[in-house]
Amino acid sequence: MANPSLIANVKQQVKKTKVWKSIFRHDFSDTPRTRLQRIFGNVFLHLHPVRIAKDAIRITYTWGLGGISFYLFLLLIVTGILLMFYYRPFSAVAYQDIKDLTYAVTLGGFLRNMHRWAAHLMVIAVILHMIRVFLTGAYKPPREYNWVVGVLLLVMTLFLSYTGYLLPWDQLALWAVTVGAQMAANSPMLGNEGPFKLPFITTANDARFVMVGGTTINDATLIRFYVLHCMAVPFLLTLFLVVHFWRVRKDSFSVNTGPKVDVWPNLVSRELLAALLITVVLLVWSLALNAPLEGVANLNVTPNPSKAPWYFLGLQELLVYFDPWIAGVLLPTFIVIGLMAIPYIDINPKGLGVWPKMGKLKVGPISIPWPTERPFAVSVFMLGATMWFVLIFIGSFCRGPNWEWYWPWEVWSHRRISKMTLLNLPNIYGLALMGAYFAQALPFPKAAKDMLRAKAGEKAPAFLSAAFHMGLGFVISAAIFVPLVTEQKLFEGLGRSHNSPAVQAMYGWVHTMGPMGYGLIGALVLVSGLLLGWVGVQFAKFKDSLYEELGPIKYVIAVALLLLMMGVLGKIVLRLLFGVKYVFTLPMFNFNI
Amino acid sequence: MKRLLFFILTAACSVIFVYALWRDTDRDWTRYQHQFVKTLEPANRKLVSGGIKQVIVDDLKRVDRCTTCHVAIDKPQLALGEEPFKAHPGKYLQWHPVEKFACTVCHGGQGIATETLAAHGDVKHWEEPLLRGQLVQSSCASCHGDVQAIQEHVPLLVRGKQLFQEKGCYGCHVIKDFGGQLSVELTQVGSKPYQLIHADFEMMPHPHDRIHWIEAKLRAPRLLNPGVRQDQLPPGEEEVFPTAMPHFGLADDEVKALQVYLLSLRDFDPPTSYVTPAKPEPAPVYATAVDRGRAVFQRFGCVGCHNVDGVGGRHNWNAGLGEEVPSLMYVKMYYSEDELRTLIHNGRQPAYRGRVHRPVPPVFMPAWKDKINEEDVDALIAYLYSLYDKVLQSSTDGPAAVAASADVAVQ
Repeated sequence: MANPSLIANVKQQVKKTKVWKSIFRHDFSDTPRTRLQRIFGNVFLHLHPVRIAKDAIRITYTWGLGGISFYLFLLLIVTGILLMFYYRPFSAVAYQDIKDLTYAVTLGGFLRNMHRWAAHLMVIAVILHMIRVFLTGAYKPPREYNWVVGVLLLVMTLFLSYTGYLLPWDQLALWAVTVGAQMAANSPMLGNEGPFKLPFITTANDARFVMVGGTTINDATLIRFYVLHCMAVPFLLTLFLVVHFWRVRKDSFSVNTGPKVDVWPNLVSRELLAALLITVVLLVWSLALNAPLEGVANLNVTPNPSKAPWYFLGLQELLVYFDPWIAGVLLPTFIVIGLMAIPYIDINPKGLGVWPKMGKLKVGPISIPWPTERPFAVSVFMLGATMWFVLIFIGSFCRGPNWEWYWPWEVWSHRRISKMTLLNLPNIYGLALMGAYFAQALPFPKAAKDMLRAKAGEKAPAFLSAAFHMGLGFVISAAIFVPLVTEQKLFEGLGRSHNSPAVQAMYGWVHTMGPMGYGLIGALVLVSGLLLGWVGVQFAKFKDSLYEELGPIKYVIAVALLLLMMGVLGKIVLRLLFGVKYVFTLPMFNFNI
Repeated sequence: MKRLLFFILTAACSVIFVYALWRDTDRDWTRYQHQFVKTLEPANRKLVSGGIKQVIVDDLKRVDRCTTCHVAIDKPQLALGEEPFKAHPGKYLQWHPVEKFACTVCHGGQGIATETLAAHGDVKHWEEPLLRGQLVQSSCASCHGDVQAIQEHVPLLVRGKQLFQEKGCYGCHVIKDFGGQLSVELTQVGSKPYQLIHADFEMMPHPHDRIHWIEAKLRAPRLLNPGVRQDQLPPGEEEVFPTAMPHFGLADDEVKALQVYLLSLRDFDPPTSYVTPAKPEPAPVYATAVDRGRAVFQRFGCVGCHNVDGVGGRHNWNAGLGEEVPSLMYVKMYYSEDELRTLIHNGRQPAYRGRVHRPVPPVFMPAWKDKINEEDVDALIAYLYSLYDKVLQSSTDGPAAVAASADVAVQ
């Protein structure tokens, strides 16, 4: 046992040396002065402010999601660099190198597991971070631009993960990337298989070619993805990350009121704990579950089903309902643009820095939780986020061979045959349907209302609005049902006609009740038209006030995005319930909606 | 509180990391090597070194780490009586030095793996499981073109090849550009990707690998491909037929032999320095046209459907009444030579069937025009006509005897 005073003495002596003093500029006793010095005397920590509002660092406010995302990024860089020592991006040896990592390198498999699972965790953390920022309104002025940078970071995170997916060069990698590359081939104008293909586009210069570096996925693709994954995208991501962090400081925190506390130790300790917690989670995960590695990539053997990486499975699931250029190119573009537009079209100053206050919304006897302060923004955003994850869930767990529906507990069968016969709505009906659908967004400006009121009496605007929306409802309803009945020839027998649930039901009515059945169908058209019209009328007032509030440009963008999102849902319903494949087709341009 | 949490989490991190490190060092092979070294005389211990061993053969694209556990495979003086410490039996390693051939080229399995299950290929996503027992004979044909020359080492392979012809498999299956094209080509069936077998796997018990699939298919083809009946399908879908492959009622040893032969048909191209080319088979000499015809009947797999000596009776979805392939014993009575020649040349297109409501089936008499040369067709016709003479001869025994012999052949 050494003499305690001796240790203290040595400590004192060491601290007096020039070496020590040159490295550590301040002493470590816990005084207000050193608390500040620790932050601004440290290159890594000085990104933090010195003092921060107490409310801004409440765990239940941020859940540390941004910091966790950043920590996972660092972890991925470290594990990624270690993996690069063992990996050669060359198709003849890439797969073998992964096997070597698993079987011969000390902790190699563990390392790969950590890299893989950390990447998945990072995607989750970044998405959750975005949802958190939205719900707490942290994108509101003055931080609009930082939200845009954040969306870019999300896109880059996904792209980073996607490019890494190919590197093991196994069947899983090859075919997941094939799904993505195929979507590129379906880009409008620039894809060889897309609509409105430009005249000079061939397989050897289209978007897919640029992406995979050739007409097939091979060594050129592997080196391309390798460089993107290890160099290009991390570099870009770091650049934007720097901007993201710097802007947080410069734009100041959204919660910037109330009592302040020292960042050291209050925030730094939390960050450290969060990092530690994530490390433990990741270590356990990597121990418990091995990163998947299937057979070596083989372009001649297509797995059935071939699935994209999980975070793109929502889009792949949409391929059931839309052509690839919509599901794979148009919708993702709209999602990204829509997300970026949020801070510029949401000009409601409420809800800044707090989680949405929830109240109850009474619908008849049931009351559902409903945000009271920003009901429209929160519910629309959450609907979108929920759709994204539900589609991912369906794509991951409910789709088997031939992309058939299987419940997660069901065993897949390659022998099962079941098909829903599909029909295209005739273009004229499709145009009516889409026109009426989008026309619902038409606002009734106040000036026009006043004019009408002056000319035709007090009740005229309300009456006109109701008539307008009811009319649109009936047009939509008729555009769906009329072709189903007229095009299907319900009497021809079920074996030959359409087998979607709606058509089968109508067939049943006509068959059992005769003319009464037709009456019933007519009633159904009326009722559904009435219902759609009623929904339109309900929202008419809100729509008009939104228009007054946002002005024409913001209003058009907001409503277009909203209607597109709801349109995706609508198309899913049309497909599943009515067996409608396309509502509008121009075969000569390969253009189908 | 935070301090406590910090210590707990740090401790958890370190414990998990140490556990991961320990688990990484405590592998199957480390245990086997310890076990093996302990049994050695101290003087002998220098002969074996520890660590992962690997044989790298560039020509064959192999990195085999089998010798990591099978430490004494090429050291008979150190070998023990139990796996994995046995020496390789026979003189095979002298003929095929490990440095030149590695292990998995003959034995299958995942050479690069260092865990028992994975190395033996008994894991998902590895499609070359260990060829256990006599199945290893199937690998010899990869290089030995002339299998007859090594027949005492590969009895099953030789027998399997012979059986494939005897049973008339060539009638429907192509191997290396020879055979009928009614069914799947078998040239590379020994390395067929599992992805293409998934539908069959669903109908057989585990393990789901190529070895067991071939066995199941040989034993009872219809169990794997029972088809889908109309009432199991959504309206408007066409019925899916069960496999047209007849049930051959193979004995266990026949199944094994055919299994070995089929597994030997692989997508594997060893460098020429490894290969002993096949000798051209001497042109067979036949005493009579009938003998030659019989050989042709055999060689082109007519027996697959029309049965041995053309007695008929194999089940076929297309055959007119009773869904059985017609017997050929009476062709002399019904066909002139020219008619018969045309029939052999052009085959039959599915025209009518016993049960009209069922869809067009997949199997019918194929056209042989460019496959059997004219002299052989002549011989074949002579042979087919001779069948009727045989019937006449045996008619002294009464027609019942003929029928009975046909029954035996069917079974």
